[in-house]
Amino acid sequence: MSFTDKPLHRRAFLRGGLAAAAIIPASSFLASCAGAASDTSGGDSAPQGEVSDTNPFGMVAGSSVEAIIFKGGYGIEYAEFAGKQAESKQAESTFSVQPATNIAQTLQPRFVGGNPPDVIDNSGAGLISINTIRDQLADCTDVIDAKNYEGVVIRDTLYPGVTDPGTFDGKFVQLNYVLTVYALWYSAALFEKEGWEVPKTYDELMDLGKKAKAKDKYLFGWGKEAATYYQTMAIASAIKQGGDEMRLALENLKPDAWSMPAMQAVFEGLAKIVKAGYIKPGGAGTQFTAAQAQWSNAEDFLMYPSGGWIENEMKDQTKDDFQMTGAPEPTVDSSSAMPWEAMHSTAGEGYIIPSQGKNVAGGKEFMRAMLSKEAAVNFAKTNFASTIVKDTVPADGFGSTALVSQVTLLEAAGENVFSWQFVDLYGTNTDMLVVWNTFLQGGSDVAKLTKDLQAITDRVANDDAIKKVEIK
Amino acid sequence: MTTVETANVGVSKQKTLTSKAWRRRNLTKDKVSFFLVFLILPVACYLTFVVSPFLQAAYYSLTNWSGFSPEMKFIALDNYQKLFNDAIFLTSLKNSVIFAAILPIVTMALALVFASLITVGGPSHGNIKGLRYSSFYRVVSFFPYVIPAIVIGLIWAQVYDPSAGLFNGFLSGIGLDRFANFAWLGNVATARPAVMFVVVWGLVGFYMVLFIAAIKGVPGEIFEAARIDGAGRFRTIVSITLPLIRENVQTSMIYMGIVALDLYVYMAALEPGGGPANSTLVISQQLFTTAFTRGQFGYACAMGVLLAAITLVYAGLVFGINRLTGGRNEVGE
Repeated sequence: MSFTDKPLHRRAFLRGGLAAAAIIPASSFLASCAGAASDTSGGDSAPQGEVSDTNPFGMVAGSSVEAIIFKGGYGIEYAEFAGKQAESKQAESTFSVQPATNIAQTLQPRFVGGNPPDVIDNSGAGLISINTIRDQLADCTDVIDAKNYEGVVIRDTLYPGVTDPGTFDGKFVQLNYVLTVYALWYSAALFEKEGWEVPKTYDELMDLGKKAKAKDKYLFGWGKEAATYYQTMAIASAIKQGGDEMRLALENLKPDAWSMPAMQAVFEGLAKIVKAGYIKPGGAGTQFTAAQAQWSNAEDFLMYPSGGWIENEMKDQTKDDFQMTGAPEPTVDSSSAMPWEAMHSTAGEGYIIPSQGKNVAGGKEFMRAMLSKEAAVNFAKTNFASTIVKDTVPADGFGSTALVSQVTLLEAAGENVFSWQFVDLYGTNTDMLVVWNTFLQGGSDVAKLTKDLQAITDRVANDDAIKKVEIK
Repeated sequence: MTTVETANVGVSKQKTLTSKAWRRRNLTKDKVSFFLVFLILPVACYLTFVVSPFLQAAYYSLTNWSGFSPEMKFIALDNYQKLFNDAIFLTSLKNSVIFAAILPIVTMALALVFASLITVGGPSHGNIKGLRYSSFYRVVSFFPYVIPAIVIGLIWAQVYDPSAGLFNGFLSGIGLDRFANFAWLGNVATARPAVMFVVVWGLVGFYMVLFIAAIKGVPGEIFEAARIDGAGRFRTIVSITLPLIRENVQTSMIYMGIVALDLYVYMAALEPGGGPANSTLVISQQLFTTAFTRGQFGYACAMGVLLAAITLVYAGLVFGINRLTGGRNEVGE
């Protein structure tokens, strides 16, 4: 062996140092996590104003409220509207309403620093997983127990069950503002023209697929970011078929949830459709709104499973006189535990109030403004979607067929309304997308689909680091 | 063994010499201010803004910090243990390593060929020069580098669109009907090559310009001599150009490797969901989802630490290979 007998030159050393300096910051992801000194004061010790019927949460007179609103399909104008309304009700108060698109990235440092905003619309692709922060949120039960601006107790003005998705271990921490009805959407005009019936079972879907093929169209289509819309439909179908037993197995991440008979029957039905070539190929490489335009504008395929936001989302890319209409998700057969008319409906756009916020009472006042009849009607009118407040949509649905059909579907469903949370709660959608993209393009069979989905939920179930919410 | 001893003696002798020199030197005001501005200040900035966040992140990787509260518990190496049992993370690790193994080599090879054609690959008589219109080609191939990576990604996502994309339109236009509706980004076999093509397309021009500058620094006589000796263009690249600019190639390999180990921006536009069967999921994407979507910042920091380690190992490999293949040892020079 031969050691160099030359000393380390200054210049060479500098050069080596420069190289190291250039390499280290390149892995910039390493440096992007930053914490802060802990400061857990705030919230409870905040000064209180006088509690009265017009100021039910004791908001301090003349105080200011900061609201951060997710700016997505619904915009933020509706929230600004509510903010102005609250300002006029609470003397000299200011309600600042600010937009954000990536809620988790924008607000993460503020949560750590102990100075979060007073009220947040925690929505969109970049939302903060509710399971992560639910310990730091204020209980909002007193909001729905308060009287709204029209003098009616808010709880009595809401659709039934809308507080369930925001309640964890008995604490109501997230107010989901927008009512979302999940359905199988189609063009009523096209169906009428061709004399097609809305399919009620997976066999009827197959028949419709055949008729579509004859017209050189496909039955379904999908986009890569939205492949799990078919999972949403499959779960809804399975729950209608198998009832609460099916729903609870999924919700509580049971080890055999995906292989229960109802789920398997639905998967088989879907697999037949995939195998017959009734799904427009190429979805795994298509951006989802482009895929949706192939349905709403080009009419390449006939039906699309989605939430009620679809009409607003595709507003500029929908064929004239399309008459977008929703139908309940199909059941496996007529022996299903719930009728075909049963609906998967839940509320979205989760509003939360951090308990460390400077003005918790002000945040609640903002929620109260949003739940007033005036604000709710304004939302429905501008966004063609219903809030959780009842009776805000007139018979003509402000000219929107999709909005009318959402309300009609809910009325027909009556008590048979259900929803589930496990996908959002444990943030498994990203992993599930991969599995569904493969299945929909014919790259896997029912057994593989079942195995892969089960592996995803098993991983959550077996990870002690993840807090579980037991659902009954 | 004698060499070792001489070396030791040499080093200690050097030490005494330098310390004496230090003592002898007067620390004038001029010198002190120079040190302050050009040494202390930058080092302090570097320590505060570069090194300390790293140490902080390395510490977080040993905790169960959720990222959304000031509370965290020290859990030692649990996160790292979890990493190596996490099938999806291992997939992303594998993908990143594949990208780092292929992308730099392909990009460098192409950039070197282009650079040679533009500088010395011209007519085989007269002065050494590039192809005709070479300055035009140079601008054309540099052009993609001027476009931000996210825009490149979005453009190519449209080009690859199965039903409305230019690429499938072109293929069906020339009669290859089976590619109608073919999802280049949606099939396991094609997604990775399709993505790599975009990255190479976007960056090859930059490295080409770097190599052009390096080749221009080599005296033309060397190429003339090679030509007189009967070296063809390919032989010239391999035996003359490459050895003469190997330091530049080494640096470029390292930079390109760092890009290949990251790729976050390209993937965010082309394959935001990780691609078919996670075949294009890279560590940086998985890190982001873990931190912000799942609220597991401690675990995500562990991924970051591992990614930094891989980057350093990669740089070490490039240095090592360059040395083994006969490159001069730059530091010991």
